[in-house]
Amino acid sequence: MNGATAIRHWRAQRVSAVALILLALWLVESLLAHLGADRAQIQTWLGQPVPAALAAALVAVAFFHLALGVRVVLEDYVHTPARLAAALAANRVACWALALIALAAVATLAFGL
Amino acid sequence: MTPAERPLSPHLQIYKPQLTSVLSIAHRGTGLALGVGAIFFVWWLSGAAWSDACFRAAQAFWGSWLGKLFLLGWTFSLFYHLLNGVRHLLWDIGFGFDLPTTYRTGWTVVAVSVLLTLFAFGGGLYAWGSP
Repeated sequence: MNGATAIRHWRAQRVSAVALILLALWLVESLLAHLGADRAQIQTWLGQPVPAALAAALVAVAFFHLALGVRVVLEDYVHTPARLAAALAANRVACWALALIALAAVATLAFGL
Repeated sequence: MTPAERPLSPHLQIYKPQLTSVLSIAHRGTGLALGVGAIFFVWWLSGAAWSDACFRAAQAFWGSWLGKLFLLGWTFSLFYHLLNGVRHLLWDIGFGFDLPTTYRTGWTVVAVSVLLTLFAFGGGLYAWGSP
């Protein structure tokens, strides 16, 4: 990482962390409220606009924050340059893929597709 | 390509564990645990969106003793990573970086994480048992 990238990483990690404080607490509260719910109840819940928007924001910000965090761990513990490059690429691909699958699932539930 | 022989900073197993270092590595550990939890969450969410079988499998997993053990771990990880993350954010804006405050906020994070975990997980188990 060069200096400018490092500063962007540092700031992005913290901005996403602040957003996740509220989104994570909302998730805990929501999951507790839906313990043992069947699929239809989850569809009804995430079929409403506000929960769907919060769920979309949560998965987008959470996987962004996760990708940044895992990147730092890989940079600390993978010492072979070629392996590090492969691990960093795998991290990006995995976090993007999981975020897109989660967003598609939320969209399906939100619009009742 | 072989890595250059450069001096390394002392590895974890050389340091005597202290509250500060243990909480720091726990921040990483809980962050990674939450990453694994996020994968399970996507599994459950995909089931809710697209597949009855997938959703039922996820629900059955949460109901199993192993699933509940994972949920307990993720509940603690979430509260700990959240609270210790706030501690990091406070350090970033210059609060609490002296050693006595660092220890005090560290123990506070541990205690409050345990309490919130017991409260949320215990409450959840109770509510689940008596719908």
